[in-house]
Amino acid sequence: MTWLNHLAARAHVPVFVAFGDDAPAEAWTLSRLPGVLIVDTPRAASVLLVAGTIPEALIPYLHRLHDQLPHPRATVLWQSRPTQSIPNAVAVTGGNEIGLVVVNTFADLLAGDRVSEPDVLPNKPPAEWRGVGPHGQGGKGMMGGTPYGRPMAMTDDDIRDGLALDSYTAEFGPFLPFFPPGLVLKLTLQGDVIQKVKATHPPFGSGRPLLAAMLRLMGLPALAVRSLNGGANRRVLQRLIRLSGARFAIPPGLGRMPDGSDVRARFDRMTRTSTDATLQNPSDMALGHVLIGLEWHAAMLVLSSIDAASLQTLCKNSDNDDASSATDGRDPSGHDMHTGHMS
Amino acid sequence: MTLLAVFGLFVFLMASVWAAAAFDMACRGWVSGLGARSADRPLRVAAMWLTQQRLTTEAPDRMNGLLSIAGYLALAMVGLAMVPLGPDMALIALPTSVVLWGACEALVVVVVFLHGWSQNAPLAMIGAYRYVAIGLPIMLLSMFVLIAAALPAGSLDLRDIVTSQRDLWNAIRQPLGLPLFLLLGLSLTLRGPFNYADSVDLAGGTSVESSGPDRLAWQVARLAMLTGFSAVAATVFLGGYLGPVLPSPLWLALKTVMIMALVIGLSHMAARTPVARMMGLIWMILLPLSFADLIWAGLVAF
Amino acid sequence: MQTILAIVGIFALTVVFVGGLRAAGWSDFTGPATAPQQRPVLGGGDPETHAWQRFHVRYYTMMLLFVAFEMEMMFMYPWAVVFVAEGGKALAEMGMFLAILSVGILYGWREGVFRWE
Repeated sequence: MTWLNHLAARAHVPVFVAFGDDAPAEAWTLSRLPGVLIVDTPRAASVLLVAGTIPEALIPYLHRLHDQLPHPRATVLWQSRPTQSIPNAVAVTGGNEIGLVVVNTFADLLAGDRVSEPDVLPNKPPAEWRGVGPHGQGGKGMMGGTPYGRPMAMTDDDIRDGLALDSYTAEFGPFLPFFPPGLVLKLTLQGDVIQKVKATHPPFGSGRPLLAAMLRLMGLPALAVRSLNGGANRRVLQRLIRLSGARFAIPPGLGRMPDGSDVRARFDRMTRTSTDATLQNPSDMALGHVLIGLEWHAAMLVLSSIDAASLQTLCKNSDNDDASSATDGRDPSGHDMHTGHMS
Repeated sequence: MTLLAVFGLFVFLMASVWAAAAFDMACRGWVSGLGARSADRPLRVAAMWLTQQRLTTEAPDRMNGLLSIAGYLALAMVGLAMVPLGPDMALIALPTSVVLWGACEALVVVVVFLHGWSQNAPLAMIGAYRYVAIGLPIMLLSMFVLIAAALPAGSLDLRDIVTSQRDLWNAIRQPLGLPLFLLLGLSLTLRGPFNYADSVDLAGGTSVESSGPDRLAWQVARLAMLTGFSAVAATVFLGGYLGPVLPSPLWLALKTVMIMALVIGLSHMAARTPVARMMGLIWMILLPLSFADLIWAGLVAF
Repeated sequence: MQTILAIVGIFALTVVFVGGLRAAGWSDFTGPATAPQQRPVLGGGDPETHAWQRFHVRYYTMMLLFVAFEMEMMFMYPWAVVFVAEGGKALAEMGMFLAILSVGILYGWREGVFRWE
């Protein structure tokens, strides 16, 4: 063990948490554990912590996530079903010992007592590379081609200003730290504005602390950790949140739901500065109604302001209602395209 | 001789990066309510990142990936090198140093963009483009307040701007200048309310794909830029090396540390609004405020 | 000359520093990233295409206004140097100039150039 590994082993363990169904309640307050650092991207993590059960349908996603961690890496399964594909994973059941297990696993990794986990997926490009031309681009001129076996983006219509540029389609989630756990969205983007939404997998009915999620989205991770302290010193927390201007950072009218509440009103409920009733179940709305036409950051604020049960309803409605028809009838973004224009 | 001084500057900068990282971590501990004792230590984190494998993405832009990180660090050092440590003691002694600093600000937008672009990954790409929408207009208002600070000196030389503050600091003479300039600092260092490039809603934005040594180098560059910016701000608004009794470089260091602490504190305590709203705010409110600062500076300069 | 030497020295040093961090073999795992490791981070999802694209820049109208202001900086630099010597005349000139630019901002706002189109 070199001096560098020795020093590194004393750092906080960078952990990426993949939330499954029925994740232990302690999993939501992991960022308060001493010696552990919850990171936002698997690229920064050394330990992949799988909290709760990953449904069969999401196992391929877990495999892709697992392989994105840099070596040295290890997986800890916390109240999670063991999986054949990651045979060396450490299994934990209790909530108390998790911090210790993570720290010890990391120390073993750096000391060389534990072998860094190999990839689950085979080492070959996502598609067969049919490259032609000096850079393998394969297309004609500026258009198309399949470098590295993946096609290039092509133009599509745009709903905001009608300028048809390239659209980007991908499945986002289920293990993004700013996404409701379990939710997989197939999003089509033009620039950073959402054009199409399709829910591939609904979110789990989790106990995700929404206030902490909102604070993190507004660039206040330290306040988010404070908000997870189980209700102690609520006055101080409320004062710090007011001081941060978080309420005014949320654009008014964003993400309005059938009960008339916008993200700002729902944020007030979370901070308990407003005593309105909780969100009614949005029985006649689909995901497209709340997300299409929004810029990325605003869309993520909307997603984190809605509780898991309502999100599940939105996803179910989206299955019946084709996402592309969501733009019919009403303007989803609450953004009038023509105000302030001469034409 | 010059190259030796450059190396000395680098060593000093790394010490400052370490201190800034330690303070940042402690600050996070205070605000989170866990206490500063729970904070990590910068050298351990650096070692941890160094022991990680360096990952690349599918078909990345390797050259720009390297140049963006190195360029960010270099721009921070150029900024720091322009700052006079005492009368006629600056590594880059230029009669137009304010213009050179303006070029550094503009190039920061370029290197941050390239950092996101070079990854060939969607979240990094969104962060890169989004940063430009804020990085460019915020630069305008910083140039207005810098030119306001140059008025009483009648010179674009940082050394002359310092000596023009012998009687009164620019922070007091032009009260709007420093607060507006601090906003630029938040944007240049990708922090808190102006972190439109590396934010949580993009899982790290332009650095979402960085691991190991790349992550370390990028964070070092960000904190180096914080040092460079703070030294320039202390020079332009807080009288730089001027001060009684203590040797002049020490005064400069003290004021720089003060600005650094202010920027770090702000970044943990102020919320970030979606980018479209911030862009409107900059043009409609902050930019007119910087006009007011310039006119005010002009009126009191006679 | 000293300035150019210093700037070149700084850039060379930083490239060596970052390159050194990458290349020095600090880690026991210096191998290249495998194909599954190279996939872009989407939280487990997989993209259909490369991320490089003709990106829909939502603030392009704002950029036109930005260019106007940025060119104006060329005028501000020499103005700042002669300001005290020229006195009230310089202040009046710049006041008029800023007033015209402010009208430009107002016009742009009415046209909606600061919106995320």
